[in-house]
Amino acid sequence: MTDYIARHSLEQYLFIPRMFQGFPEIKEALISNRIQAGFLVAPLAMALRSQGVPIKIVFLGHRYGSAAVVKRGGPVKKVADLKGKTVAIPSRYSDERLLLLRALDANGLQPGDVRTVEMAPPDVAGALASGAIDAFVMGEPFPSQAEMGGFGEVLFHAREYWPDYMSCVLVVREDVIEKRPQAVQVLVDGIARSGMWLDEGQTEREYAAEFVGRYYYNQPPELLKWALTRPLDRVRFNPLLPRRDDFQMVHDLMRKYGLLDQPIAFEEYVDIRFAEGAMAETAWDYPVGHGRMDPGRIPD
Amino acid sequence: MTPRKQAAALALWTLAITVLHVSLNVRWDGVINDFRPEQERKLNVAYIPVT
Repeated sequence: MTDYIARHSLEQYLFIPRMFQGFPEIKEALISNRIQAGFLVAPLAMALRSQGVPIKIVFLGHRYGSAAVVKRGGPVKKVADLKGKTVAIPSRYSDERLLLLRALDANGLQPGDVRTVEMAPPDVAGALASGAIDAFVMGEPFPSQAEMGGFGEVLFHAREYWPDYMSCVLVVREDVIEKRPQAVQVLVDGIARSGMWLDEGQTEREYAAEFVGRYYYNQPPELLKWALTRPLDRVRFNPLLPRRDDFQMVHDLMRKYGLLDQPIAFEEYVDIRFAEGAMAETAWDYPVGHGRMDPGRIPD
Repeated sequence: MTPRKQAAALALWTLAITVLHVSLNVRWDGVINDFRPEQERKLNVAYIPVT
């Protein structure tokens, strides 16, 4: 996405996309200024901000796209069956953990009734297949990976317990916001346009799966196609505006489960102006057709 | 093989591995970026391969 934006931006506002394998590494890179912006799970971004890390949330990455997955044909048929089981989550400070806790609460279980383990997202499908864990709650495409592999089945999708669920948010270092607001706006505009383009339909999503799988994620395009199209609203890319009510819910859950020592105001960790600035944007004018699988051929 | 030839082969091998490593593993756009003035520097944007 950032590469696409870079190709369509003025030269002085180009971006370099950097792939990481886990959120703790992104956190460290942000703190040390090795990266200036990045996608983090919302609770981690809020916790970092409350601990004084100079970052702010400026946009969302997507909505939905997380699911709880259990072993196909295994003993867990409903949420209540998770009692006593081991469930992998990406981070203690993740929306996936809060989602799991909401699902447990809705089914009469306590947080201590399941054993949660933190695991890097790319490792969870293998861990489920080998029986090292009983379930995982993770973002796509890992639920799809377990489904496609035939060893996992979705126990519940995020939307079942969390309307308008959000997970990854775009955070930017405050010094960059202060010194180069135009660059941040170009980045947010580009993500907004990409989101609208992705939500145009199946063809766009299949095309995105092809080039993102091959050139960025190093994952099979068929896996990403599954994640983006089964069904189409499995992951949504609108609305990506950071809404106060959404974050208040995350904030309250974090307080409830001891992830925030003290309350923090919405304005402290969100800078809404870039999202508001992107509200008039439209989808990329990028028709998908045969032979357009190489992002290097994206026209100016 | 003489010691001199052995040393030359070793040096050649080391050079080849170094060239391969530098061409395959170093992100030159990042290295060049670090030498740009701050206002002109590209922003590094992190992501992980999930949605």
